[in-house]
Amino acid sequence: MGRSDEELVEACQAGDASAFDVLVARWEDRIRGAAFRFLGSEEEARDVAQEAFLKAYRALSGFKREARFSSWLYQIATNLCRDRLRRRKTRATVSLEALEEAGPVMVEMRPGAHERLLERDLAQAVRRAIQALPEEQREVVILKEYQELTFLEIAQALDVPVSTVKTRLYRGLGQLRLRLERDGVRGAAPLPAPAP
Amino acid sequence: MDCEKVGDGGLQGDRIDMLYGEADAAARARVEEHLAGCAACREEMAALRGVRRDLAAWRLPRARPSFTPRGIVVPRWLAAAALLLLGFGATLGATGYASLRRSLVAQEARAAELERRHRETVQTLEAALDRRPAAALDSPALLASLDARIDQRLRASEERQGERLDLRLAGWEERAEAQRRVDMARVAASLSYLDGRHGQQLARTNELMGYVLEASARKR
Repeated sequence: MGRSDEELVEACQAGDASAFDVLVARWEDRIRGAAFRFLGSEEEARDVAQEAFLKAYRALSGFKREARFSSWLYQIATNLCRDRLRRRKTRATVSLEALEEAGPVMVEMRPGAHERLLERDLAQAVRRAIQALPEEQREVVILKEYQELTFLEIAQALDVPVSTVKTRLYRGLGQLRLRLERDGVRGAAPLPAPAP
Repeated sequence: MDCEKVGDGGLQGDRIDMLYGEADAAARARVEEHLAGCAACREEMAALRGVRRDLAAWRLPRARPSFTPRGIVVPRWLAAAALLLLGFGATLGATGYASLRRSLVAQEARAAELERRHRETVQTLEAALDRRPAAALDSPALLASLDARIDQRLRASEERQGERLDLRLAGWEERAEAQRRVDMARVAASLSYLDGRHGQQLARTNELMGYVLEASARKR
């Protein structure tokens, strides 16, 4: 049984630098994944992940352990992503050009070319819909749907009340539904009644 | 038809909890009670579940290893071979490490044994020195004896060097004689060859002369 995040943080604060390596190995993929969904760029996501761990390491001595280490790490990464998005001088949405530059969308491979094409179209529609959300809703949707954080962890990461997290998520899902329905995506609409 | 409780924050929170399977029993009861009488909310909950299903379609690209340059794809067979090699190397490394550890332990034991013997020797010598009367190192008799031994060693060394020099000179003489003989043999062989060539040429000239004389006799 490996040590918990809290034990590793404690060891790190006591001077055991190798404990931080374990934390990096444990969280790097997830932080990079979240950054990729925020920014739509693999390279930028990797940079953000590295920067987030660097910041965390430098600030670890002052980490109070009131929140979970993962929430704190997500908070750092989210702020870094926000900075980058602001620097892109976009207004709440990411340009379609940036989306296209993000590279091919990976979908779960299923037998049948037609199915795969449908899945790819769906994945692209979902990505476009998420990127078109207002920033605060997008953050919550990504952290909940893809990072699978609890509402409390998201609240800690974004430094907002849990009720705000739920409201943003509810509105974000509503926006996604409208957009996906408009794009003719199948799942957003209620399933048709079975034929008699 | 919209639900009249659409702006109810508490109900929104309950529905979100329900949607993500995090609702407690009380919240679940509240939502179910409302859904039972509200077609709009039932339809919305179904649609949001559909949205969640769709969201799962957006998967991340497979992360590239940070040490692989962009655009270069490592074939699977190469990766498998590398893994195999790595495993083999790790096994060898582990075996080597265990062997090294054993060797180090044995060496440490030997070093400890030598150290122990050394200490015993030193103690024995110290005890012997304590028992023997101290002799003056600069006494004339001791110095004379040392001088004699040094002279003797020097003479022996000079004799050995002289013998070696003689042997070396004799060797050089033998080698020079052999070389001289080889050179003479080569010269003799060359002369013989030249003689042979000369003889052949002479015979051919005589033959030609014979033809010339014969031809001129026939003309006449």
